[in-house]
Amino acid sequence: MLKTFLVFSLCMVCIGGTSAAESEREPFDDRYCTTCHGTDGRGNEGVQAPRLAGMEPWYLRRQLENFRADIRGVHAEDREGTAMRPMATKLTDESIDDIIDWISSWDYIPAEATIKGGDPLRGRGLYGGCAVCHGANATGNQSLGAPALAGQNDWYLVTQLKNFLAGYRGAHPDDTYGAQMRTMVSTLRNEAGILNVVSYINLLSR
Amino acid sequence: MPRSMPPLEVGVSKQVTRREFLNLLGAAGGTAAALKAGSALGLLPHTAQAATLDLRAANPAKRKVAILGAGLSGLTVAYELSKVGYECTILESSHRPGGRVFTVRHGDLIDEIGNRQYCEFDDEPHMYFNAGAARIPSTHRNLLAYCKELEIDLEVFINENKTSFMQDPALNGGKPIRNIDYTTHTRGFLAELLAKSLSAGEMDQPFTDSEAETLMSLIRSFGDLNEDNLYKGSLRAGYASGGFLEHGVQKDIIAMSELLKTQMGSRFLNASEGDTGPMLFQAVGGMDKIIEGFTNHVGHQIHYRSMVNAVEVKDDGIDIAYDQDGTHHLLQADFCFNCIPSHIMTGITNNFPTQYVDALKYIRRGTAYKSAFQAKERFWEKEDIYGGISWMSNPSKQIWYPSAGMHKQKGIILGAYDYIDGKLHTAMTQEQRIEAHLTDGEKIHPNYRNQVEKPITIAWHRMNHMLGCSARWQRDSDGWTHEEEELYRVLQQPVNGRHYMIGDQVSMHSAWQESAVMSAQWALADFDQRLQA
Repeated sequence: MLKTFLVFSLCMVCIGGTSAAESEREPFDDRYCTTCHGTDGRGNEGVQAPRLAGMEPWYLRRQLENFRADIRGVHAEDREGTAMRPMATKLTDESIDDIIDWISSWDYIPAEATIKGGDPLRGRGLYGGCAVCHGANATGNQSLGAPALAGQNDWYLVTQLKNFLAGYRGAHPDDTYGAQMRTMVSTLRNEAGILNVVSYINLLSR
Repeated sequence: MPRSMPPLEVGVSKQVTRREFLNLLGAAGGTAAALKAGSALGLLPHTAQAATLDLRAANPAKRKVAILGAGLSGLTVAYELSKVGYECTILESSHRPGGRVFTVRHGDLIDEIGNRQYCEFDDEPHMYFNAGAARIPSTHRNLLAYCKELEIDLEVFINENKTSFMQDPALNGGKPIRNIDYTTHTRGFLAELLAKSLSAGEMDQPFTDSEAETLMSLIRSFGDLNEDNLYKGSLRAGYASGGFLEHGVQKDIIAMSELLKTQMGSRFLNASEGDTGPMLFQAVGGMDKIIEGFTNHVGHQIHYRSMVNAVEVKDDGIDIAYDQDGTHHLLQADFCFNCIPSHIMTGITNNFPTQYVDALKYIRRGTAYKSAFQAKERFWEKEDIYGGISWMSNPSKQIWYPSAGMHKQKGIILGAYDYIDGKLHTAMTQEQRIEAHLTDGEKIHPNYRNQVEKPITIAWHRMNHMLGCSARWQRDSDGWTHEEEELYRVLQQPVNGRHYMIGDQVSMHSAWQESAVMSAQWALADFDQRLQA
């Protein structure tokens, strides 16, 4: 839809008097997501781009807006975030609407477990704190602004928890939910705690 | 017969011992012997012939081939298999063929995610920029064979130019010096040191008189030493004045202590050796003329803007699901050759064996970065520079002057090339990138900022459908580990005899067109052999 719109508007521009050569230029839209995030947004470990299919529309919007406003993805050590931010920088509100609609059209298939070395039994104990917002089955809770965790790529969850713990994510003063996460994630203490809790989340399903 | 040589007079901290020379001679002999054993032609390692594929005609019942990606390797496969009767379909996710053989011209879209650009260069044949592949070594004979077969016009690519510059704030007070000044003086000083070391030893053994004389004459000639084996400057660096109608006046020497202030020498002196040594070529009018040579034959097989969603290898064929124009499509084929970058393939649904997927995931993606400007006038020609590369210690690293279009009004120059780690510039906004290159380039050409316009940048790490430059198999620079080599061999082999990964990514020498071509040829030869078996 957006592509059609853009092609159409480019044509309008040339009718408006711009050179004919410009109408021959390759048009584009903002539907880039699957290049990095994989087939139907199922995530791509090869470029560490997480699963988008199944993400809640309100969560997608918040994150795209945070990236766009330089609230997320600015810390130099946040490798994946700094890769994502410039891709969101130039999105218009209409593009964000279109992307969210597009993502909603993809089938949600839970990600496979990949991480090794976590202890889900210890993780279950640690997850208690997470469950308050993200739900006992990690299915998320919109009223608390907490997205679903179950079914997400485990390597992505590990990276994000590490980033919260180290302050690479969630340290921006306007990142209200990020600040909450930073407080909560301190209970996981270290990488072992993170692996334990994510290996427990891997056992939950939506 | 023993000879006496003048003793060493000054300043070499450690003399070369006779034992070291004996070792040197022994080692050289060993290498030569190894070469001789490995080849019937002794010192010539191989005959200069490209591989010849002798593929059998397609079996009419099993002739459908899916090719994923219209990069050079994919096009090579399409071209060769079409010759022998296969029915090829090429799915290309972007709007253009060629992959990283990308020549940018007037009006072209540079589809960097988050930083789309249209190239605004003047619309003239010589106003192009090779944003990816840019050089063809004369030893890359398989690629050259296709250039010949497809009648691609080639011209010499000038990699080293003695009048180009080297610039480092540590050297010469930051003022650029010419390549020829650095190389002439460095060679002079190195030769003087070597001559002194040699003279110092009682070199009655292991050299014969004639060998010793030849060696000394070689050293003198290498560094342009005087009869006392001292370096006192050289006219090789050009004249300070005169030289034609008046006597030439020799330039002042740049002291060795000054030359040693830069760390760039080690990179600079080998920049035109190996793969980037003479002769190098480029396709006349842009490297994508090679791609055009292939698409003249197989272009009709390419489906553009067709993004692969799933690859399912089955016992009796292979199914490729893809999206085009917002619609799902299914392509059923007997065989598949796939040059989709490994790090993108990991995000595409597939039923490959675990080890194969592990190999795909192991490869890191290159981060190379290039930038180019249109020059309003060919200001470098006024400084005696025609083609070649100036080197800078700053992050923009290089300026390439075009190897073609001499004496025309304008030209396209490369304003930055970070082939090792382009992440620094990739992380910047377009405005920041350009400002960085202008600031860096001004160190060599003071009026640079006013002489260039219409910049473009190519951050391969963020290019749509690419997300990376050449594949990096090795985690560290010490060579391939056993594990890496195993994974490489896994990825080279077909899945179920039907699905081949190809491209320079499936080679031990990525980043070259030759590697892409050879990877395709290896897969085709293996494919043909399996059909025969």
